[in-house]
Amino acid sequence: MISEIALVLSGHAVWGRLLMIEATGLSKTYGKTRAVDGLSFEVRPGAVTGFLGPNGSGKSTTMRMVLGLDRPTAGTVTLDGRQYHDLKWPLREVGALLEAKSIHPGRSARNHLWSLAQTNAIPKGRVDEVLELVGLTAVADRKAGKFSLGMSQRLGIASALLGDPGVLLFDEPVNGLDPEGILWVRTLFHSLAGEGRTIFVSSHLMSEMALTATDLVVIGRGRLIADTTVDDFINSNTEATVLVRSPEASRLAEVLTSSGASVVNGDNGSLLVTGARSSQIGEAAHAAGIALHELSPQQASLEEVFMDLTSDAVDFHGITSATTRAAS
Amino acid sequence: MTTLAVPLPSTESGRAGLRHAIRSEWTKLRSVRSTWISLAVIVVAGIGLSALVSNVEATRWANLGPVDRAQFDPVRFSQTGEFISQFVVGVLGALVVTSEYSTGSIRTTLAAMPRRTTVLVAKAMVVGAVVFVVTQITAFISFFVSQEVLTAHGGKALPAGSSIVTQLRTSVIPVVTLANGGAVRAVILCGVYLTMLTLIALGIGFILRHSAGAISLYVGLLLVIPLVIGILPSSISGSIEKYLPSNLGLAMIVVTTRKTDFAGVLLSPWAATGLLALYAAIIVVLAAWVLARRDA
Ligand SMILES: Nc1ncnc2c1ncn2[C@@H]1O[C@H](COP(=O)(O)OP(=O)(O)OP(=O)(O)O)[C@@H](O)[C@H]1O
Ligand SMILES: [Mg+2]
Repeated sequence: MISEIALVLSGHAVWGRLLMIEATGLSKTYGKTRAVDGLSFEVRPGAVTGFLGPNGSGKSTTMRMVLGLDRPTAGTVTLDGRQYHDLKWPLREVGALLEAKSIHPGRSARNHLWSLAQTNAIPKGRVDEVLELVGLTAVADRKAGKFSLGMSQRLGIASALLGDPGVLLFDEPVNGLDPEGILWVRTLFHSLAGEGRTIFVSSHLMSEMALTATDLVVIGRGRLIADTTVDDFINSNTEATVLVRSPEASRLAEVLTSSGASVVNGDNGSLLVTGARSSQIGEAAHAAGIALHELSPQQASLEEVFMDLTSDAVDFHGITSATTRAAS
Repeated sequence: MTTLAVPLPSTESGRAGLRHAIRSEWTKLRSVRSTWISLAVIVVAGIGLSALVSNVEATRWANLGPVDRAQFDPVRFSQTGEFISQFVVGVLGALVVTSEYSTGSIRTTLAAMPRRTTVLVAKAMVVGAVVFVVTQITAFISFFVSQEVLTAHGGKALPAGSSIVTQLRTSVIPVVTLANGGAVRAVILCGVYLTMLTLIALGIGFILRHSAGAISLYVGLLLVIPLVIGILPSSISGSIEKYLPSNLGLAMIVVTTRKTDFAGVLLSPWAATGLLALYAAIIVVLAAWVLARRDA
């Protein structure tokens, strides 16, 4: 891949080492469970890539394989063509937050970070720096076991940033964060990606991903469902519908129908048009001298698209209303 | 916002290796309170129990017959604290590993240092060195304190250089110095015994990855197996007993009794040390093998 290139994005000199995560035919079987099944995808630098999938779809397993913690049953995952195991200073190339609470409860945040820093010859000053960055300076010497889930998430993010790595993996980083914390994480990810780093974030919160990620890797039951951008993912998986209002609705309907679009009547005299983009509708109306009062594309939310796509790949369904009714 | 003010040293040369892992493990070990509690118990219980037992044995001296007097071992009494310490070092050695598995931080550790054997070696070296130093200091202090206790009961020092096993006809409580045959060896091997037990517990920790399981197995090896073997017919138990870790420890520490009631039952101190080292090596190598192969 491209390496040692200094990019300039929005006027800032940014991250010099570009790292691509590449999975090829990645599979992992635990006993009889196929946790990950022939997964191939790429995660590029300079963007936040969302990693979406229902519970038990293999997101955490995939992340552990990226970090060389679990050995793939088949396939490979590489960082710029290299195996994780071959990285000389792993923390300076890849930072990860796997589970927020995975810290000895009796150890202070500062000592935890310092012990981690020492493994990769990272100077002590950097520990204070990342503590400051995540806002934990005031509690740095308190036992990590006394931290709230949100504080633990921040400590996990601090440890991921310790080596100033070009690749960052976060497994459900906003779990337990309050709205302010979520906003902080989103801003942080955007700025990290803006510096040219590779950001790979798993989440259940589709609405959150729509705001955080630009790229998407979607999986269900360990298999790849989509490797795309958020915009393309929504566009290609929803039939674009445009809502139109006009004082001459019936004439507009005729014009649009004759140009090949299909039109149905919506609420309050509106028209719902499919088979034509909003730009085409606007031009057709203009050409026919018809005034428009509203012209709005109806986008399905990421949540809806995701539910649609993965509904047959969901392992665990909640109790249905039918069951509840039968019981009452 | 996220870029460095503190520059990282050049990564051109070298790689994250053993010396980095050792520094990290030392930080981890010293930054939890359980380490300090364990070490305090080793020192306090080690010296306290040894002094107490020396005191009890000294008060019994007047009523002992010639055979019992011949078995009176002022060195072994001075190391009685080892009985408690062997469990403390076991818990310490196991927890160094299993606490990382129970919290999940082993994944952070192995992601930072993907060469897993390096992690194991660093842990073993750090906890092994700490236990060795502390138990060695404790063993020597226990030795001197216990001799003071015996002296306070009217004990008399054996002539320097004399072998402790020659005291058969002494009429006063024998008090020894490090200059007496076998004393230095016994005191040093007490620390060596506890250090090797620590490594065995650490290895069991990597193999079982579970605190309760690892500590149970360790205690089982030291206490339960000897009990089970004890109820077997003596023809069988007699031939196995001397190879048990706890009896290897005894063989490393006793001095006078070797020639009397334990005659033929215990291995020689150095054979015992070698065999225990072999046990520790087997368990640690097995631990390294499973650590390298299993998913973290
Ligand atoms: N170490 C393991 N041993 C056995 N089975 C495992 C192991 N790790 C994961 N699994 C199984 O593999 C499947 C994928 O799990 P994984 O944790 O990767 O999913 P996930 O997408 O991260 O789920 P969630 O959204 O709930 O975090 C599940 O069926 C899980 O039970
Ligand atoms: Mg998960």
